[in-house]
Amino acid sequence: MNMVELENVTKTFGPTTAVADLSLAVPRGSIYGFIGPNGSGKTTTLRMIVNILRPDHGTIRVFGEELRGPSTSRIGYLPEERGLYRRMKVREVLRFLGELKAGRAVGQEVDGWLERFGLSDCASLKVEALSKGMSQKVQFIAAVVHQPELLILDEPFSGLDPVNLDVLRQAVWDLRTRGVTILFSTHDMTMAERMCDFIFMIFRGRKVLDGTLSSIQDHYGADTVRIRADGGAALLRGLPGVDAVDDRGHIQEVRLAPQSDPQRLLAELIRRTRVQSFEVTRPSLHDIFVRIAGNGAKEEQHA
Amino acid sequence: MRKTLVIAKREYLASVKTKGFLIGLFLAPLLMSGGLIAVIGLRGQVDVSDKRIAVVDRSGFLANSLVKAAEKRNADEVHDSKTGKKVKPAYVIETVDPRPEELPVQRLTLSERVRSGNLHAFVEVGPEVLHPGTNREPARVSYHAKGAALDDVRRWLERPLNDELRRQRLAAAGIEEGRVQGLFDWVAVEGMGLVAADPKTGQPVEARKSSELEAIATPMIAVVLMWMMIMMGASPLLYAVMEEKAQRIAEVLLGCATPFELMLGKLLGGLGVALTGSAVYLMGTVLVLLQLGAVGFFPFHLLPWFLAYVVLAILMVGGNSLALGAACNDARDAQNLTMPSILPLLIPMFLLGPVLKEPHSGFATVASLFPPFTPILMMLRQSQPAGVPAWQPWIGLVGVMVFTGLLVYAAARVFRVGLLMLGKPPRLKEILHWAIRG
Repeated sequence: MNMVELENVTKTFGPTTAVADLSLAVPRGSIYGFIGPNGSGKTTTLRMIVNILRPDHGTIRVFGEELRGPSTSRIGYLPEERGLYRRMKVREVLRFLGELKAGRAVGQEVDGWLERFGLSDCASLKVEALSKGMSQKVQFIAAVVHQPELLILDEPFSGLDPVNLDVLRQAVWDLRTRGVTILFSTHDMTMAERMCDFIFMIFRGRKVLDGTLSSIQDHYGADTVRIRADGGAALLRGLPGVDAVDDRGHIQEVRLAPQSDPQRLLAELIRRTRVQSFEVTRPSLHDIFVRIAGNGAKEEQHA
Repeated sequence: MRKTLVIAKREYLASVKTKGFLIGLFLAPLLMSGGLIAVIGLRGQVDVSDKRIAVVDRSGFLANSLVKAAEKRNADEVHDSKTGKKVKPAYVIETVDPRPEELPVQRLTLSERVRSGNLHAFVEVGPEVLHPGTNREPARVSYHAKGAALDDVRRWLERPLNDELRRQRLAAAGIEEGRVQGLFDWVAVEGMGLVAADPKTGQPVEARKSSELEAIATPMIAVVLMWMMIMMGASPLLYAVMEEKAQRIAEVLLGCATPFELMLGKLLGGLGVALTGSAVYLMGTVLVLLQLGAVGFFPFHLLPWFLAYVVLAILMVGGNSLALGAACNDARDAQNLTMPSILPLLIPMFLLGPVLKEPHSGFATVASLFPPFTPILMMLRQSQPAGVPAWQPWIGLVGVMVFTGLLVYAAARVFRVGLLMLGKPPRLKEILHWAIRG
């Protein structure tokens, strides 16, 4: 059963079409990653699912029901532009937001989450006294403290240090293990690859990718070669059959031109330099993202 | 409704738990009563130094009478009869011979003496003051001083001047003044209320004397108190919403509740703040009146109307403030929109004078039935001793309820759209578009 279904959803703001004819189905219990360049329509889509914005056309079903009335308390939402009452104490603000959503006292849950995130000592502090990382964890607690069935996170990991990032990522994993369906947007492709069951990419308001990572990569085929060789990127550029080179320091990721044979490339390389490793693989999500968004940007420049 | 009440509770506690609220609650009446005490206290603080007044009498017969009148006043009024303490300034009249051929120069010289502090003022009496002809100029009496318009001496001069002129005119007509003394008796018209029938016996009950306290003080206190309550409850909402928007709290809240629940919660919170203030002030007023033994002046019968108007006005002005607050991006926007948000309160305050003077005129009736003005102007009229016809407050109340309902509905639409809008503040046309089209 799908937790979220969008059917031919369109949303415009004046002359700008933010989301165009979008259809999407999010299976229950999955982690669904939203990727796309800035301004592509990710946040608008998430806001429509939370029922903060209403679509101009199309239907949105959450928990199998069309969203018409007030926002459902079964959803947890962490917006991209997030803030808390700066002069309220941490525990007070979490209790307020939790009670607002759950309709009951959530004191125990608040204390449990604070302890888990190592914030028990900060419970009586005012929000304005928190560091950015602490504040972000408190905001995450605000989104999950009422035990939602569907959790929507708009760029939840941005700006976090590695330690806090791991803490939040583990919390998301645990929620998923407990059966919570999670939608989150991110610009971190590695994070999306590691965490998401399904990946959805929106570009200029239109869906351009939707599926498992494997199915998306299959679509693009094994046209990528990871090479470690003396001479680096400079040596690879201009070789026959090489379409593009992504220089990643010690390793170069090469995209082959259509119909090119990787064996011929390997032979050419061996003839010219010492090759340490040569791996034919599928393109990374990062590479796919850049191909789509980069081509779009080039088209815009030409236009 | 549950979410609305949770939001209302937070808004209420966030306001009343601040030091600012407590200070404001007790400081406002202290400042107002302090102002009143200052006015009363300063009333006795008069300058008792002697005032020298030069009189240029071109009629030739008035100067002496003014000198005598001033001497009599100085003997009778300047010192307290019991303590002997000087309580008023003495008036010293200095007669100056008129020089008609160089009148402008003489006036300039005297003006310079006033400027230098040598004289308090100078008076010029026209040559034909006794029998003014069609040309009023030669019959004019002019008073020249630094603050002539509000000068007590000018007002005092009028009586001895006119007394002497009357005496001279009677003498010229061959009438002995003593025989026509009653001719100049002044009869005051006493203000009384209307006669009403005793509800038990049906007998007419004697009318009460109209007191200025009832006619002016009670309505004004009721209206000022109402204004304070509305400002306390509704006005801060504009900044509160602007802050939530600027601090990016708005979207977090919209993820928890609908815009209408959010807005209604805020309105109810503001209402709670105002009603808390009202309760404190009303109880304080009753306690003070009980202490003074004047509790009879408290218009208890108007209390339900007062509270109904406060509630509706807060919903009306608060809805307006919330909608405009949602259209703001920063404190500067909020500052610019503060005035429009409280317009329904400001305009009736400018109409208090004419309505208080003639509370039953057509203008007062129509203005008090115009929904945005009804809470303040109808309250003002109702708290007058004569009250208003019974149907008027009810019609006014229905009008305010309908108007407030429409306004809150439109405000909710603006609030919903404006809350997520960032960047350039919307124009009035856009705000109206949101209100109508959503």
